[in-house]
Amino acid sequence: MIEWSEMHLAIRDAFRRFVEAEIKPNLTELEHGDTPPYAVLRKMVETFGLADMARAKFAKDLAREARERDPGAPPRERKPSPEAGNEVAMQMIPIIELCHYCPGMVTALGVSMGLTARAITSRGTRVQKERWALPLLTLETIGAWAITEPSSGSDAFGAMLSTARRDGEGYVLNGSKTFITNGPYADTIVFICKLDEGNEPRERKIVSFILDKGMPGLTQSKPLRKMGLHSSPTGELFLEDVRVGKDRLIGETEEAQSRSGAKETFASERTGVAAMALGIVLQCQKLSIEYAKTRVQFGRPIGEFQLIQLKLAKMEVARMNLQNLVFRQIEMASAGKSMALAEASACKLYAAQAAMDVCLEAVQLFGGNGYMAEYQVEQLCRDAKVLQIYGGTDEIQVSQIARSLLAG
Amino acid sequence: MKILVPLKRVADPDNANKVKIPAAGDKIETTGLEWKPNPFDEYALEAALRLTENGQTPKVRAGEVVVVTFGPKETEQTLRAALATGADRAIRIDTTDDKLDGDLVARALAALIEKEKPDVVVMGKQAVDGDSNQVGQILAELLDWPMATFAATIKEEAGALVVSREVDGGVATMRVKLPAIVTVDLRIVAPTSVYSTKTAATFKYNDGVRFAALPAIMAAKKKLLVEIKLADLAADQALKVEYKAFQAPPARKAGIKVKDVTELVTRLKNEAKVL
Repeated sequence: MIEWSEMHLAIRDAFRRFVEAEIKPNLTELEHGDTPPYAVLRKMVETFGLADMARAKFAKDLAREARERDPGAPPRERKPSPEAGNEVAMQMIPIIELCHYCPGMVTALGVSMGLTARAITSRGTRVQKERWALPLLTLETIGAWAITEPSSGSDAFGAMLSTARRDGEGYVLNGSKTFITNGPYADTIVFICKLDEGNEPRERKIVSFILDKGMPGLTQSKPLRKMGLHSSPTGELFLEDVRVGKDRLIGETEEAQSRSGAKETFASERTGVAAMALGIVLQCQKLSIEYAKTRVQFGRPIGEFQLIQLKLAKMEVARMNLQNLVFRQIEMASAGKSMALAEASACKLYAAQAAMDVCLEAVQLFGGNGYMAEYQVEQLCRDAKVLQIYGGTDEIQVSQIARSLLAG
Repeated sequence: MKILVPLKRVADPDNANKVKIPAAGDKIETTGLEWKPNPFDEYALEAALRLTENGQTPKVRAGEVVVVTFGPKETEQTLRAALATGADRAIRIDTTDDKLDGDLVARALAALIEKEKPDVVVMGKQAVDGDSNQVGQILAELLDWPMATFAATIKEEAGALVVSREVDGGVATMRVKLPAIVTVDLRIVAPTSVYSTKTAATFKYNDGVRFAALPAIMAAKKKLLVEIKLADLAADQALKVEYKAFQAPPARKAGIKVKDVTELVTRLKNEAKVL
């Protein structure tokens, strides 16, 4: 794939129009006010018929799983199909367009429809999928995926303190989580913790439970104040003796291997960052080019100065690379392949750094204006920083890549 | 009801400052311009869709909406977008922008209408690039059809449309028998501007033109889009309008500060000559 198809461009134009009509005029309120992003996101889902599409795909996936469970069924082969590539493209295009203005909205949307729903669809029982995943996929409910704790970030599993204890037929959950996207407003929370069987914390099994807002013992904090990404509410969760039945244990088995489940989730989370970075870079570049042409200093548009040209050229290099990373992901899906964790890590590492570099250059290009909130590059710059931190820090990506290079 | 909607793409009106005129002043430089559908034509398409549906079930089309544009292959993007939004099929009349004027477009449309036999032609009152505002009117004359221009509201009745336009101090309403030409103004996309006989009088549309849903954008690829040569519709392609020269509007001069009201009044009287 070397360029978007005519259909992709039509989809892009439609989302662009939506973003310009619904998000751009409300940017100040979404970024600096107390309005959560969900109403606009739900309007987007309704406008583009995304809920119907999600329902159709959900039914198709359930039917396919049922077929595969049939012991006589042939093993599943992933065949090359342009459809699969198209599906990825149609996830990427809205991400790119939203990130022109609100990377936070992509985070809120992605954690709910992506991370949280996928944690349930990939490991849950059919009943769990229908009860909790489907409403997440249509954005009727908002989801949060709770793994990080005050003392466990990059070492998510090792230092995890949250526990589940068996209690008759069910479990009692305790612990606290932080930096949880959608935490303050989530209707459905996937809570990842360790099964306390009286053994050493390092040896405990990882299990995940599905919680509902308002359950006794569950407290959802107010949004935390952050450096950027203000259109994505982030909060803390506190669980104090939350009693749950086995029906809330994902997969209804303690052997559901949540550790590898979480790792799969990481890989998919990382690939989305390339599209986010591309959206941010496209907007920074567009604003910077306009500014370079119109801002006059020393009697000339600043675009005529070579140091400014260097910034624009570097932005273009980053844009091209990010565009190609996005195309590669679409191509891989079309070819029936998925990215290994190390490659996904390399993509994420590059994309996050490229977005940050471009944003800092854009702020510099705008000079004093770039430091002012009135010029949008200031917001994008604050937002871009999170790409180097969430979904695995740059340092963790480096270690993943190195581990794969040094293995074997 | 069968409706024909002519569409034109125009240079993105939000980026009008990118329009360049070469030193020779013989044309407008179109390379590098972003194209968008003419806003009034988008409103016309929205009006046509509202006239061919029950507002409550907009996925079911009662009747047919055919869109047509004049231009090179790239203009098919405009047509595909219209098909995604709800039009049933599309026609591209192959030509280039510099070989057209309002008279030729109207003559070619008239020939197309002889073949297509729509009940109504709904079109934008004007394109925002040349602001000619004449194709609808010439077309009505060529076809000898009734015409309602600058429509702010349209209500369907059996065999007729009741069309209102805003005029100084009020609203002028007329009933046109079908077939007819209607050109629309921006108010036509307000929530209660257009009612087909199928839509309940209490129904309110969303303000503005509708978005195409994602599945509809994908399905638009499969809808019929045919190409017709301009020569097959208009043997005589002579233009009546000849553009002699183009020039950019003069740059605005910087303003001045006056020290008091007396000076302001003096300058308004003597220099600006508005008092």
